[in-house]
Amino acid sequence: MRKSGPPSEIGRLAAPVAALLDAAWQHMHWWVAAMAVLYLLSGITIVRSDEVALILRWGRLVGDRPGLQQHGPGLLFSFPRPIDRVVRVPVRHVWEVPVDTLASMGNGMSFDPVMQGYALTGDQNIVHVNMMARYRVRDPAEWAFYGPRAEDVLRVEITAAMVRSLGEMGVDRVLSDGRRELVATAARRAQAGLDAAHAGLEITSLELTRLAPPTILASDFDAVQSAFIGAETAKKEAQAFAETAIPEAQTWADSAVQTARADSAAETSEAIGASEAFLALAKEYRANPVVVRERLYRNAVETAIGHAGGVRWIPPPIGGSYHGLRITIGPRSSQPKSGLDPDEGGDEGR
Amino acid sequence: MVDAMRTQRWLRAAVGTLALAAIVFNATAIIVTEGQTALVTRFGRPIRTAANAGLHWKLPWPIDSAIRLDMRRRVYETGLTEMLTRDKKNVIARTFVVWRIGDPLTFTQALGNEGAAGGKLDGLLANAAIGILGGHDLSALVSTNPSDLQMDAIESELLSSTAPVAMRSYGVAIEQIRLNRIALPEQNVSAVFDQMRAERRQFAARFQAEGDREASRIRSEAQLEAARIRAKGAEEEARIRGESAAQVARTYADAHRIDPDLYRFTRSLESLDKLVTGNATLILRTDSEPFSLLQSKDKP
Repeated sequence: MRKSGPPSEIGRLAAPVAALLDAAWQHMHWWVAAMAVLYLLSGITIVRSDEVALILRWGRLVGDRPGLQQHGPGLLFSFPRPIDRVVRVPVRHVWEVPVDTLASMGNGMSFDPVMQGYALTGDQNIVHVNMMARYRVRDPAEWAFYGPRAEDVLRVEITAAMVRSLGEMGVDRVLSDGRRELVATAARRAQAGLDAAHAGLEITSLELTRLAPPTILASDFDAVQSAFIGAETAKKEAQAFAETAIPEAQTWADSAVQTARADSAAETSEAIGASEAFLALAKEYRANPVVVRERLYRNAVETAIGHAGGVRWIPPPIGGSYHGLRITIGPRSSQPKSGLDPDEGGDEGR
Repeated sequence: MVDAMRTQRWLRAAVGTLALAAIVFNATAIIVTEGQTALVTRFGRPIRTAANAGLHWKLPWPIDSAIRLDMRRRVYETGLTEMLTRDKKNVIARTFVVWRIGDPLTFTQALGNEGAAGGKLDGLLANAAIGILGGHDLSALVSTNPSDLQMDAIESELLSSTAPVAMRSYGVAIEQIRLNRIALPEQNVSAVFDQMRAERRQFAARFQAEGDREASRIRSEAQLEAARIRAKGAEEEARIRGESAAQVARTYADAHRIDPDLYRFTRSLESLDKLVTGNATLILRTDSEPFSLLQSKDKP
């Protein structure tokens, strides 16, 4: 309730403003109360799954070490501004940045360094390089408050690292088997540079999207590549020959040895068998020499007559010897299997 | 009604007090956040630096003013600078620096803002680079021989020759200097191309010759190895056959020694069997066995 009595000069002048405020309050107090509640609630922050949050209280980072400074995903309660300020840092997100400072520009005919990007290799050849870097935030406080802009520092650090790494390798190594080492060395150097710059960034991968000599020299490099492939082909063909010839020789040698062993075994067995047969025969021979000898002889003669292409019979000699005996043996086909041919017989020769 | 008016008066007083406190706070408080520095001036004269993050105080305007400075590190990339190396080769180099405000007062007085720093650093770095690279051969920058390379030394020299000057003159703390471009003047590039072409031809010829030589070596070695394996196999085969023949001979000899006469007889019969084939013609006497029976007077 207002004080009674005549109003002061100030009170009289402020009366319309007070009346206006009273009237506004009458209509707005719920709104003011709601705004006050909203202000108090503004200290609540939602930290997303790929983020951590840092709290600045009166501008100073809350927490002495990273574990206490960084607040993970979820609801984060803090005082409203200007007491606290929450900075959200997407630490799990991976960004990409193309680095084309050493890439070929335009038609590739001009080599003005201002217009054309390239790098010198250790043997003072020229190559063009296109790169793609992927990175994420490793130290949120450094990235948010102390480090340089990510894309600026990444571009120059990666370029410097690549220039230096190329400058210590020959062009042939760079273009063939040294690419992996080149990328690894450049990435390591670039990361060291980012750390020295307190960028708070981590290079997760560095890729060479293009690494090539100048277009004007492409045919010369292709010729070397063709010669290299030709040489490799010749070597591979020779190796294929070696891989065939040696096993073949080994197979032949193994086969010869095995055949010899088999033959040896067979011959030995045959010899043993024949010897045993001979011993048995000898035993019988000692008991009945005439009969055994006669039987063997007759069997042999019969077999010989059976196998022979022809048999000629001649009479016994007269007087113990043949005089003027002539035997003509014709072609086999015309010969009878056996028998006496009167025309060619012993009569004629007698 | 009276309570409502009292409450209203209190609320009005509270709101008014809060508003007044906010105005006073805004006029006298300096909230220095991480990565910032505030330079406090009194009637334009710098009196102190609020370097640490947190809450600082000053007298209200127009007595005191606060100039906030971003202390984050920055990157500045110089232009391309052509220079002559110690071995009289023209090269074009570009460097970049990572810098921050090292002395806020000097920085504010000498440069005023970040944009002005670039021009000063450019000149400073160009002069330093020309002087320092002039004391090194080109092979100190690019070489396949690691002992020739002196990039670390060159970058250290650049840093040590520019950082003190930048700090003293401009309040700029240079933390890192690196060469991020080494190129050749355009008029020299054609000579490099000629050299590269000659090298390519040489490499192509060498690859071809080495490939042929290596292929020939592999074939020869394979042939030699194959011959060695065959010879070894033949040797083993001969040894086995020889031993076998000896064994067979020994076996026969042991048996035939029992009755040499019978052996000769049976051997003769075997020879007869083997020799008389379809191409042979036997000539037999009619009085030989068994056909002599046909002529025998003692027929059964």
